[in-house]
Amino acid sequence: MATMLLNKLDAQQMANDHRWVVIHPLDDAPEEKVDTSALGPMTMTTSVRISLLSLRAYLIVMLLLVFYRVFCQAGFFGLHAS
Amino acid sequence: MTNTILPPAGERDVIAPVQVQGTVVKSKWLHSLLTFLVVFGPGLIVMVADNDAGAVSTYSQAGAQYGTHLLWIVLLLLPVTYFIQEMVVRLGIATGQGHAAMIYQRFGKWWGLFSLVDLELVNFLTLVTEFAAIDLALSMMGVNPRIGVPLSAVALVLITLTGSYRRWERTVVFLCMLDLAWFYIAFAMKPALGVALRDTIIPSMPRGGITADLTFLVIAIVGTTVAPWQLFFQQSCIADKKLRFSDVRWARLDTFMGACITVTVAGCMMLAGNASHIHGFNFTDPAQMAADIGTFAGPAMRMLILVMMINAAILGTTAISLSSAWAYGEVRGWPHSLQLPFSKAKGFYIVYTLSVAAAAGLVLIPRAPLQLIILGVQVLAGVLLPSAIIFLQLLLNDKELLGNYANKPWNNWVNWTIIIVLFGLSLVLAAQVAAPNLFPTGH
Repeated sequence: MATMLLNKLDAQQMANDHRWVVIHPLDDAPEEKVDTSALGPMTMTTSVRISLLSLRAYLIVMLLLVFYRVFCQAGFFGLHAS
Repeated sequence: MTNTILPPAGERDVIAPVQVQGTVVKSKWLHSLLTFLVVFGPGLIVMVADNDAGAVSTYSQAGAQYGTHLLWIVLLLLPVTYFIQEMVVRLGIATGQGHAAMIYQRFGKWWGLFSLVDLELVNFLTLVTEFAAIDLALSMMGVNPRIGVPLSAVALVLITLTGSYRRWERTVVFLCMLDLAWFYIAFAMKPALGVALRDTIIPSMPRGGITADLTFLVIAIVGTTVAPWQLFFQQSCIADKKLRFSDVRWARLDTFMGACITVTVAGCMMLAGNASHIHGFNFTDPAQMAADIGTFAGPAMRMLILVMMINAAILGTTAISLSSAWAYGEVRGWPHSLQLPFSKAKGFYIVYTLSVAAAAGLVLIPRAPLQLIILGVQVLAGVLLPSAIIFLQLLLNDKELLGNYANKPWNNWVNWTIIIVLFGLSLVLAAQVAAPNLFPTGH
């Protein structure tokens, strides 16, 4: 078992020779990934779009409710919520 | 030693030789083991860091109030947490980018900014609770928190500033291994293993039925086991480590092992809480629990629990602060990698340092509203988690983005079930916030 610098192609071919190469991901050649910036926004069906709008409304209402309750607890409105 | 063998002449023009550093082994089994070990890290760290200071408090409180009755919920959360994080593994490896960047690019500015602001807010509040726990544990150990808390913050900043992902990962994996001390703590409490095993496998309801306290504790257990920052952290960590498509199965194994460890450790924390209750102590906080346990298990055990409480907070802090810094860097388009030195990723390291420093500083302010912050963290995380998972689910069904790594129908069935349950719990929480007297109090 020895650590060495080697050609990426040789590393792939070594398996045929009953030798395998372990390469740390940070030492490996960069791998081609999907180009996300070229994809742009996701195409959504109308139902998904409506669901996300409902989710947005739900989250806004819930956040306001949470902040109201927290401020009540802190006594910001001159009273302590039960 | 340099291997200079080049491909055959015909191929040389097509594929340029790329030099990589690797270790040659002569056994396939050893190759698999070593490959797993080099991939191993992000899954373990995200899962063990999930058992942070808040988790220590929640699980030990659950044990102190309800004995071993809620162990089955922890077991139920094993597949939940694994399936959610496994999706993050595929997304991170396929795109090589973080979660915040994905939401920003695929769902537009509004959701991108909303997710970022929400993550930064909940993360910051959670960080405050981590330092509050360090403060509490240090005080119980007789160490002045005004010295101990800033020192912890400095140590937390230093472990990331080495300019080496590997160095940071090794340090944090070592801290994760220390978490295994919870097994020793639990067994030293001499629990009734038969009863614990029965309550883990067979769901049971504590005496008193469903009360407001029990409902909140169950939501807190779910919220502490499946947290939004985990999605952001593991995906960015995988992107930073540059995991490859061939690493998917090992990254899954890493995540599964981490999930098993975190759930078992959570059970051990419940057993510790249960032991203090059996000896007649009422639960107030984990540091007090350590002191109570010290009265019958000895001062060494007291010290060990306090050290583990600090370790949990340190692990939680580094993971949560990094998830904030990575997310901010991704959205702003700044360089954001632990592989980069400070001079090349200033914004990334400054966000990390500011998160840690501000949270540590807030804890040291006398009469800071810590209880209110803890309440805010639990409620906000509970409300926001289902939406974070919905985005994850939509991204995982994005064939343009993931191709063969997109969800299969069975993945979707499992994930929608998880989302419905989480939404149900979120609605219960919402109802409780809107109408606090909805559930009967007491148990």
